[in-house]
Amino acid sequence: MNLMKKQEQDVQKINRVEVTPQTRIDENGEAFTLTVELPGVSEKDIALTLENRTLTITAENTVEVFKDYTLTLTEIPEVRYRTAFELPEHVDTEAIKATNRNGLLVLTLPKREEVKPRRIAITAG
Amino acid sequence: MRAYLSSINNPWRVFDELMNDVPFEVFNNEWRARNGQYPRVNVWENEKGLAVEAEVAGVDPDKLDVSVESNVLTLKGEKEQAGGTKSEFQRSFSLPFELDNEHIKATAKNGVLTILIPRKTGVEKRKIAIEKL
Repeated sequence: MNLMKKQEQDVQKINRVEVTPQTRIDENGEAFTLTVELPGVSEKDIALTLENRTLTITAENTVEVFKDYTLTLTEIPEVRYRTAFELPEHVDTEAIKATNRNGLLVLTLPKREEVKPRRIAITAG
Repeated sequence: MRAYLSSINNPWRVFDELMNDVPFEVFNNEWRARNGQYPRVNVWENEKGLAVEAEVAGVDPDKLDVSVESNVLTLKGEKEQAGGTKSEFQRSFSLPFELDNEHIKATAKNGVLTILIPRKTGVEKRKIAIEKL
């Protein structure tokens, strides 16, 4: 019985279509900000992995099923979101921060101190 | 002959053919959804009412507006984009029955808006007598 259940789950996973989520990249002197649209995805269904300098984001959405109702219009499929980024050398991978709010995953990728813009003082000669 | 001519002279032929293969409605919805003008929805229905799920990632729940007028359901919202610019979206559904705008229940979670609306009760069914001629 348990085995059957597991198989069903596996089949469901295979059936999900893989899509690239809508993503936006912003940059300022301090950091890069990656904003990924993941509607219907809860934190526990998001996986962030960093391998060498490749940051991979995978997530699965949950489409609610209303009991005793009939589905009359379907536009939201069950999908697996996947996207990957090659991070530049000057991103401080140790200091990456991630937050999830209103279906937006926001990643802050701070730049290393040495590449941040700084003022150079001029001394009168 | 005309059809033949138009097919060889029309530089957009390939595009037209492509468009014919794609159901236009789907293409259009997809395009609009990508541009954030058109939230994607799942609509569920039963004899008591309607359940709607809409994808509204990046929309502040306070900036969401759900309204019902007779048999038309409208979703409106404002999405914040990079650099503080805002884009507005609106989508309306015309339904085959009237909805009760006094008892709408809307919740937002993880960028998905869930709306439960009962059908309007007290809409009396009238039996129409058929006259025999």
